[in-house]
Amino acid sequence: MKNKQKTWRYIFAVVVLAIGIILEYLKIGKEFLGFSSVGTWLIYIGFVMIVIIRLQFIKNKKRIIDERMIKISYKATRITFVAIILVAFFIMILDGINPINLAYSMFMSYLICFMIITYFISYKILEKHN
Amino acid sequence: MKTKIAFYRNKLGITQQELADAVQITRQTIIALEQNKYNPSLELAYKITKALKKKHIEEVFIL
Repeated sequence: MKNKQKTWRYIFAVVVLAIGIILEYLKIGKEFLGFSSVGTWLIYIGFVMIVIIRLQFIKNKKRIIDERMIKISYKATRITFVAIILVAFFIMILDGINPINLAYSMFMSYLICFMIITYFISYKILEKHN
Repeated sequence: MKTKIAFYRNKLGITQQELADAVQITRQTIIALEQNKYNPSLELAYKITKALKKKHIEEVFIL
């Protein structure tokens, strides 16, 4: 990992952690995504990010990204984008039929999970066939 | 596109990993090229040709 990139990731993780601590100190926010508050959730995310960055730094493997991988990731991104549009379209229809009562934070977390899973699966499939 | 990468690589006695390192790509890309699953860019084709000690791209890559 490049030093500049690593520093920015660290800064972002520390900022997330700091916001979490401030929110927790000021007792802002209610139960959030299975955590007692938004602050607790942000502290957890911040710690996880720091651990991941640290592990990537320890590994220190020189990753090669060649043209084939770039091509595959581009295709996977396109597939993910189309999948999101289709899912959004069906959610709109479903919401029209029967209103969905779901917290915005929960909806976004499901959407992000869907994005990551779709990207990962499409990348793996494309990797096999390209 | 068909390739003769495996043939020339075996002739030189180098592994897929060694060839991948020489042209700075992953071993998976070499595998995909050898199995004719991936069409490389002109730049990559040129690098592979040089790494296999051949003069012309047409010797390694066949349309």
